[in-house]
Amino acid sequence: MKTSFEEKDGKYIMHFEGRLDTASSVQTEQEMKVLHDCEGHDIILDCEKLDYISSSGLRLFLTLLKVAKSKGSKVCVASMNDNLRQVFAMTGFTHLFEFV
Amino acid sequence: MTALGPHTEELLDAYRNELPQLEQLAEQASDLLQAALREQNIQLNTFERRIKTEESLAGKLEKKGYKYKTLNDVTDVVGIRVVTYYTDDVDKVAVIAKNIFDIDWKNSVDKRKHQLNSFGYLSLHYICYLKKGPLRNIPFEIQMRTALQHVWSAIEHDIGYKGAVKLPPEFVRQFSRLAGMLEMADDEFSRLRTTMTEYRRQVQSLVKSGHFNEVSLSTESFRQYLELKPFERLNQRIAAVNQAEIFPAPMMQFLPILEEFRFTNLGDVQQFLEEDSDDAYQLALSQLAITDLDILSESVGLQNLCLVHVLKQGGGLYGIKAVYDVINGEQDSNAALAENILRQAQQLPFMHKL
Repeated sequence: MKTSFEEKDGKYIMHFEGRLDTASSVQTEQEMKVLHDCEGHDIILDCEKLDYISSSGLRLFLTLLKVAKSKGSKVCVASMNDNLRQVFAMTGFTHLFEFV
Repeated sequence: MTALGPHTEELLDAYRNELPQLEQLAEQASDLLQAALREQNIQLNTFERRIKTEESLAGKLEKKGYKYKTLNDVTDVVGIRVVTYYTDDVDKVAVIAKNIFDIDWKNSVDKRKHQLNSFGYLSLHYICYLKKGPLRNIPFEIQMRTALQHVWSAIEHDIGYKGAVKLPPEFVRQFSRLAGMLEMADDEFSRLRTTMTEYRRQVQSLVKSGHFNEVSLSTESFRQYLELKPFERLNQRIAAVNQAEIFPAPMMQFLPILEEFRFTNLGDVQQFLEEDSDDAYQLALSQLAITDLDILSESVGLQNLCLVHVLKQGGGLYGIKAVYDVINGEQDSNAALAENILRQAQQLPFMHKL
């Protein structure tokens, strides 16, 4: 599992690649901490190369959502494949995020 | 600038000397009033305080200096303005001010009542003193008005009609009509608030007593209904599949779907919950049992109920996509989600009873 971070047009963007499962979630959690300091910046989670997300991954996204909301920032999930969308849909979390 | 008279100069000297105390007074009075307003939970449009500038004071003294023997005779050097949303709240603010400050009734005016025969839409002014402390002998003014009165005052100031010696009668009439309209609007907003509060109380009481059939489905009633956590049992049943934790999530966005189902009262929602819960559980089970997902949104039960209802009504793929379009916003990927649900549902008994 790889992540990379960039700031573009005032937005914080994190790119995910691989499988976000229990094993990789501890390291990913650390890498996502940079997004928690998001006051004044909307966040894009680029999931184009994300192949799998487990409950641990969902928890990371939900934690980020909570932090971002409290700071007035939006979290947008981009380019998620249909299998991952199914995970969000069946757990009932789709309406919490903005998908593009 | 023309030379100021000796009396004006004397009062301005007093002003310069007393400025630190005046600032202290403004702060203390504001803090006391704000704390009392907060305690009574009065929502304000604006709360502001100011010390009259030296320039403005000089202007006032030059015009009416003969009226003031000492600086304390100028009662609005320190001013507080409280702007409320509702006219009832102006009266509440006034009562609070009366309780926490001493009021100089001789110099306080309820301009709302004193201008019955002229145009204008005016506010309530109290001249106050702190009840205790070293600053208790310095007066300050509290202006209390509604947001509409505030707007009137700002426009009136901008138009500058007050300076006119005599206005043509057609302008006087226009001003009076506008003032009347604003006064009526203020009264109507207050009445509306009272009616809405009463409605909320009624809905709350009917919902709590379980008289769901008597409560029309609305934003307010659905919110009250959700407070009873009607979907909790179904959620827990679904969560038990993977021993999942339930994550709090808003559910108000499901209201348009329920309205689309032509549910008119909470009884319809309750009936839908009772009749479709088992099938909603089966549908959720068919999706979740083959995963190890152990975190679920609080809306998972309601979402599956809606999907089941659409399927039972023969809504098919289009109907399921329409549900997702409301929940997720319209997007192409909702079609794939709908196809998946339809595929899962086709294995379930309720689809074969249709």
